[in-house]
Amino acid sequence: MRQLPIRMDRQWLNKFQHLIENDTGWSNWERFQLALEAAEAQIVPTFDSIQSLNQIQGFEPLPHQIDVVRRVINEMRGRAILADEVGLGKTIEAGLILKEYVIRGLVKNALILVPSSLVLQWTRELNQKFQIPAVAQKKEWMWDKCDFIVASLDTAKRDPHRQYVLSKHYDLLIVDEAHKLKNRRTKNWQFVNQLQKKYCLLLTATPVQNEMNELYNLVTLLKPGQLGNESRFQSDYVAGKRKAKNEEQLREEISRVLIRNRRRDSNLNLTRRIVKTIPIQLSPAERALYEGITQFVRSRYQSHAADLKSMLALLVLQKEVCSSRDAVFHTLFKLFQRGEQGKETLSPEVAHLAELLRAVTSSSKVDTAIKLIKEISPDKVIVFTEYRATQDMLIRELAKEGIHAVPYRGGFNRNKKDWMMELFQKRAQVMVATEAGGEGINLQFCHHIINFDMPWNPMRVEQRIGRVHRLGQKSDVHIYNFATENTIEEHIIWLLHEKIQLFETVVGELETILNKMEEEESMEQSLMRIMLESDDDRQVRQRLNEWGESFHKKIQTVQEQKERQEVLLYGTQAD
Amino acid sequence: MEPRQIRTFTERYLANHGCHIIESSPAHLVTQLSIQADKDLLNRPFYWMYVERCNLEPQPARLCLIFDPEKCPEDVKGEYLFYGSPRFSRFLSSALQHGQFVRLYQQPSGRNPYMYVSKPYTPWLAVNFKISYICDQKKDRISYLGINLQNGHILEPFYQTIRQLSWTSKLPAQRHTIEPRLSIAEAVGELEYYLQDQLENEDQTWAEEAMERLDLELNQLDSYYPDETKISAELSQEKKQRRRETIWQYHPRVEVSVINAGLFYVEQLPPSLEN
Repeated sequence: MRQLPIRMDRQWLNKFQHLIENDTGWSNWERFQLALEAAEAQIVPTFDSIQSLNQIQGFEPLPHQIDVVRRVINEMRGRAILADEVGLGKTIEAGLILKEYVIRGLVKNALILVPSSLVLQWTRELNQKFQIPAVAQKKEWMWDKCDFIVASLDTAKRDPHRQYVLSKHYDLLIVDEAHKLKNRRTKNWQFVNQLQKKYCLLLTATPVQNEMNELYNLVTLLKPGQLGNESRFQSDYVAGKRKAKNEEQLREEISRVLIRNRRRDSNLNLTRRIVKTIPIQLSPAERALYEGITQFVRSRYQSHAADLKSMLALLVLQKEVCSSRDAVFHTLFKLFQRGEQGKETLSPEVAHLAELLRAVTSSSKVDTAIKLIKEISPDKVIVFTEYRATQDMLIRELAKEGIHAVPYRGGFNRNKKDWMMELFQKRAQVMVATEAGGEGINLQFCHHIINFDMPWNPMRVEQRIGRVHRLGQKSDVHIYNFATENTIEEHIIWLLHEKIQLFETVVGELETILNKMEEEESMEQSLMRIMLESDDDRQVRQRLNEWGESFHKKIQTVQEQKERQEVLLYGTQAD
Repeated sequence: MEPRQIRTFTERYLANHGCHIIESSPAHLVTQLSIQADKDLLNRPFYWMYVERCNLEPQPARLCLIFDPEKCPEDVKGEYLFYGSPRFSRFLSSALQHGQFVRLYQQPSGRNPYMYVSKPYTPWLAVNFKISYICDQKKDRISYLGINLQNGHILEPFYQTIRQLSWTSKLPAQRHTIEPRLSIAEAVGELEYYLQDQLENEDQTWAEEAMERLDLELNQLDSYYPDETKISAELSQEKKQRRRETIWQYHPRVEVSVINAGLFYVEQLPPSLEN
């Protein structure tokens, strides 16, 4: 054994001797003891115990997450790919590992590279869950001044930031969505490869999307040579672009740097989703308004054909009329403020719509909602709507019935959001939300969702459900979809529910599938075209059916891709 | 630290740093901080700079600390203090900072039977070392050493021995201190030798294993990068960087720092412990 280096700190001695000479500034016995106890509290007594678990509050890491922390620190020595399936908590795992190293004094600074849309969320989680003073990178000077910095990969790799980042030594580097590093010819890969780091965590749910080389490139960032050099890797393990050989051995090598938890292995299956479509019959007045708007939209569409901007505005109207009178009113008002300015009287077309609006005095949807919420009581319910106007109206109407409801929307600042969450948890029975996006609202204490109106984008629908139906949810989740009969809403719900079975299953790969679908045209545009161009309901149904079929084909492609990945990582077929 | 320990530690800290407890229940307490505690615990340097620049009446804050949020009455607005919370870390580091060095005399236990003869006190130097064993992992231990400045005798664990005695910062009446034969620097040197010897004779399996891992990783890098003669400057640079990182990550070493130290003038140590 080479001589073990021992470094003795002697800086204290000067200070001590100084005190002796001057005979002043001594501490006292009680403080001396307190200091020693403080030091004892911070001691890490063994190499492999996990300390971080005693130092977090407010959440309980799951067994598989703790296991990941142990393995990464004790076996993988702090360089690992965390490849859990979506929703199993890779962020928590990475946070715990970071915390553990910080407690041990092994990490004093860290760089966390994430997609720009997740910068704030990561920062918040590290602050709140792990008490790590992370900051979101905004200004250049922050690179030098902040020890724990969360930044977007796209920003960090560009000048002038690049120079700062490359000149620093990071005790820990975390890269989220690391599948963006699968190609070593890209700037992303080369940049991360150049970073100077001690420990490194790469987070991705899809370590292999297409080719074997992707995995090789990821591993090379962590531990060059772990899978041999490039030519050896090719000859030892690659049978074809997408096919491996010597799989057993390859898997073993991979398992030394990659951890993947799957729901089905780790008993992490979620509770059931119980979906109910609630048909709603429009009152005659509402029906008249719906028909009026539909007429208006069609005639406008035919005269402005192919003008995308006005098409979008029309589309909104078409959707709003299924939500509430208030929502329509808002949009119509704005639309005509522009169009009718300076005119003395309203055009007959507009006057007619205004007339129809005025005739609607009650809302069938609201009545249904109130009845349902009362049935569910005292359980909590979250009601989602797309529109502010509907949200306000709903809270008003619920209050009239003595039902306490709190609002939640994207425009609230963080404090207000937290406050509303707390009110909902402790006092209110209902939350009416316009936003479901990844803003870290976790509502496991609630298991009833009402989709008061339906977004046309399946991702948004999934996000809504995902707020409630997630790890930690102990009950089955009830989802109520409000569908106004004989309207476009009914068609959309048919498509999402019956045709692509969005609600029942957790489609982890939904985003990938949608990206594939939307290569040609965004989903909302496709649906809009179908709605506007079809002559009658039968044709709408038929064209939606076709759309659904192509969606299923994409699911298949993605599924096959996933299977290839699973075979590579496990040697078994995915289910 | 258990919640109960957090509470006692906090209360002792407050009592010892001039803070008053205004309100206290099993779940929480409210305290009026002293100026120094406010500076240490609250992190508001701008306020203090302002107060001092403008010569204003300083108003240290009141702090409401909650130890058990479950049992805390709802109308108490305070902050949850737990092991791992940033505020508690501040308590710890403040305690560390203010308890570094002492000079203390043993409090005589009974009356001096030889009323007119002064009794001698032997000087001891106590040093509490924190020893960190570091490779890609880390563990620590504390070594509580004391050395008799009269005869160079080293006692471990020293702190546990003197903890049972009472101490005062003033030399009691009819006592005198013996002039030490060892200088402080010499004594520290002796303690370091003692530690060094101890460390070198400890089980070093952990370091050997870390060394093996390091060698393995370095070999892997060597086999990954082509022969030094054949690679571009850029690739050679990259290889050097990877080697540096690997060494940084794994190389085993021991770091010894000092938590606190003190001069203790001792009449007599408890007999069972002095050998």
